[in-house]
Amino acid sequence: MAARRVALKAIDWVAFAERVPPNQRGMFNALKTRSDAIAAKLASLPEAPAAIDWSYYRSAVARIGMVDEFEKKFKALQIPAPVDTQTSTIDAQEAEATKSALVYTEACKARIAQYEKELDKLKNMIPFDEMTIEDLNDTFPETKLDKVKYPYWPHKPIADL
Amino acid sequence: MLSRLVFVSANGLKSSGALGAGLVQASRCLHTSSQSLAPVPPLPEKPGKVRHGLIPEEFFQLLYPKTGVTGPYMLGTGLAIYMLSKEIYIINSSTLVALTVGSFFIYGVKKFGPSFAEFADKLNEEKVAKVQEVKDLAVTGLAQAIDSEKKEQWRVEGRSLLFDAKRNNVTALLETNHRERLHMVTNEVKKRLDYQIALQNLHRQMEQEHMVNWVEKSVISSITPQQEKESIAKCITDLKALARNTQAKATA
Repeated sequence: MAARRVALKAIDWVAFAERVPPNQRGMFNALKTRSDAIAAKLASLPEAPAAIDWSYYRSAVARIGMVDEFEKKFKALQIPAPVDTQTSTIDAQEAEATKSALVYTEACKARIAQYEKELDKLKNMIPFDEMTIEDLNDTFPETKLDKVKYPYWPHKPIADL
Repeated sequence: MLSRLVFVSANGLKSSGALGAGLVQASRCLHTSSQSLAPVPPLPEKPGKVRHGLIPEEFFQLLYPKTGVTGPYMLGTGLAIYMLSKEIYIINSSTLVALTVGSFFIYGVKKFGPSFAEFADKLNEEKVAKVQEVKDLAVTGLAQAIDSEKKEQWRVEGRSLLFDAKRNNVTALLETNHRERLHMVTNEVKKRLDYQIALQNLHRQMEQEHMVNWVEKSVISSITPQQEKESIAKCITDLKALARNTQAKATA
């Protein structure tokens, strides 16, 4: 029963906290408290149990052979390591998250491209002082008066004036 | 007739550079080529300079090289006198009406012109400001949207931290469990051995006590009544001697 080396990766909670969006902060706090509790519990247990002083017991216990028997059985005992059922699940989750993150990033990029296009259009437009009404309708399509729907001046419902 | 002459020469005079300061006379060469200009070049800010509200400045500049500063005025006066004397222009009641209306008109324009111009300009400016505001809002909104999208992308990159945390938790739990098991086994074995030792100690203690009690009982039962009386008498004489000694010591 040799003590096992623990393979824990150091997690930078501060950097993690920065990346959490505000609407998921509750979940993050719950995760942090849970992780802290688990880590504290782990730290509170010593790595290997205290060794049993066999010689003392051999001299103290009157029943001959009992201590020897115990010692033999104790040394031969192997405690199996607990089976890890969750890591594969976590890995699968991570792969899925990577995929959805890719999709989200692509959508983000498309949105950014669209916004930048509009921004360029607005930045490069001719100043209002030099525009005609046609130019205004080209740059801001919402200002175009619908002469088909409202054939009579002012070409929009009176309430919108 | 004269005005047509003025306009034709005005176009030729534009290149002479004899224009006053503050003029924004962009060369509005509309319809000079077959293509239409887009965006349309901007309108000039101020109208062409005019003297006495009627006669364009170009006329005076036209006559300046030949007749100097007073040339156009002499021309005007001479023309007026000629028309009056030859009765080309006849003075009648319409003249009086024209003069009166003209004076009122000039007075009105001079008095209320600037304020009215300001009012009209303000109306136009408000329209422009409104549209400008819309445009500014749109620009800032878009810039903000781009920033937040970039931020979201950065956030998404941190997802590996979450999974690392989860895996850590799992490892920690497993390790904790394993250690607990080890500790439990050790403690149980120790408890068994300690129990044996405690049992032995208890046995010995009970045997000791029993023996002591038995010895006491046998000693007490072996004391005969006569021996008891003797021992009590001896105790009393010893006590008396002791009392005498302490009294003697106290008085001495």
